[in-house]
Amino acid sequence: MCLCGTKAKKLPVLASRAFSSSARQLKNKVPEAQKLFQEDNGLPVHIKGGTGDMMLYRATMTLTIAGTCYSLYWLLMASMPQKKA
Amino acid sequence: MAHQAHAYHMVDPSPWPLTGAIAALLMTSGLAVWFHFHSTTLMILGTILLLLTMFQWWRDVVREGTFQGHHTPPVQKGLRYGMILFITSEVFFFLGFFWAFYHSSLAPTPELGGCWPPTGITTLDPFEVPLLNTAVLLASGVTVTWAHHSIMEGERKQAIQSLALTIALGFYFTFLQAMEYYEAPFTIADGVYGSTFFVATGFHGLHVIIGSMFLAVCLLRQIHFHFTSEHHFGFEAAAWYWHFVDVVWLFLYISIYWWGS
Repeated sequence: MCLCGTKAKKLPVLASRAFSSSARQLKNKVPEAQKLFQEDNGLPVHIKGGTGDMMLYRATMTLTIAGTCYSLYWLLMASMPQKKA
Repeated sequence: MAHQAHAYHMVDPSPWPLTGAIAALLMTSGLAVWFHFHSTTLMILGTILLLLTMFQWWRDVVREGTFQGHHTPPVQKGLRYGMILFITSEVFFFLGFFWAFYHSSLAPTPELGGCWPPTGITTLDPFEVPLLNTAVLLASGVTVTWAHHSIMEGERKQAIQSLALTIALGFYFTFLQAMEYYEAPFTIADGVYGSTFFVATGFHGLHVIIGSMFLAVCLLRQIHFHFTSEHHFGFEAAAWYWHFVDVVWLFLYISIYWWGS
């Protein structure tokens, strides 16, 4: 909580604790998320969340392409006749 | 910015159907590579890709519904139809295994001793852990209904508690069933009794784990204020799936554990 600019008035410690003691209170961040994902920037939903989205997408696509090539490699291996010793 | 003149959801282009399809390819061909060449790399790669696809695809559905407002009433209706059709397909999946069980148990062959349970099989006592498991799942059906009413009435804390309790009961069932599997006096290799028992109850256990995961995601979403008292279809879908898992268990218990013992 930012108190910069205000006169230094000593507040009792208890007064700054506004939430229940049973569990930590989470703030409702849905409105912020709604603003982020409704921004008119032309981005598709799967990368609209930020850099993390792009990194995860790139990692996934890399695995997709690498995996496809790897499966084709095994297909080639499996289709070649066994060399008899 | 272009606006649509209808209430339906025209989705953004997405890479997840492709990555999901490739994941299926890698998992299946990976299975064959494991069998023939003793290498599990391809199969594991496929599984990782599947998990990445599921996470990002469903993350995007949450974004589209909760953050972008695309889940209008007609769209939600479509999602409801979709979930019902999916659960129906799962019902047919289990029907097959029940068919296999009844095929073998209603007319036991001479090789089995002409009786069911077959000669030499020590069955599990249906009134011990299996009965406890029945009580656990039935109780979880009550708690998930409690969670639903809490959400509808805007009771945030109660919704979180009852949903957490439902998940805990699900984990308890899985734990008890794992213990039973370990202690069972017969294995999957013990003739048709073992096959039908472990395949039917095994797939059921997998669905309990899937259902628990679905409910856990709903718990996280409830904690993060995603659900409103009027609109919480993700939770309803999870609850329907959970009730389905419970009903399958009841059929398993009556048929395999009780009648089949």
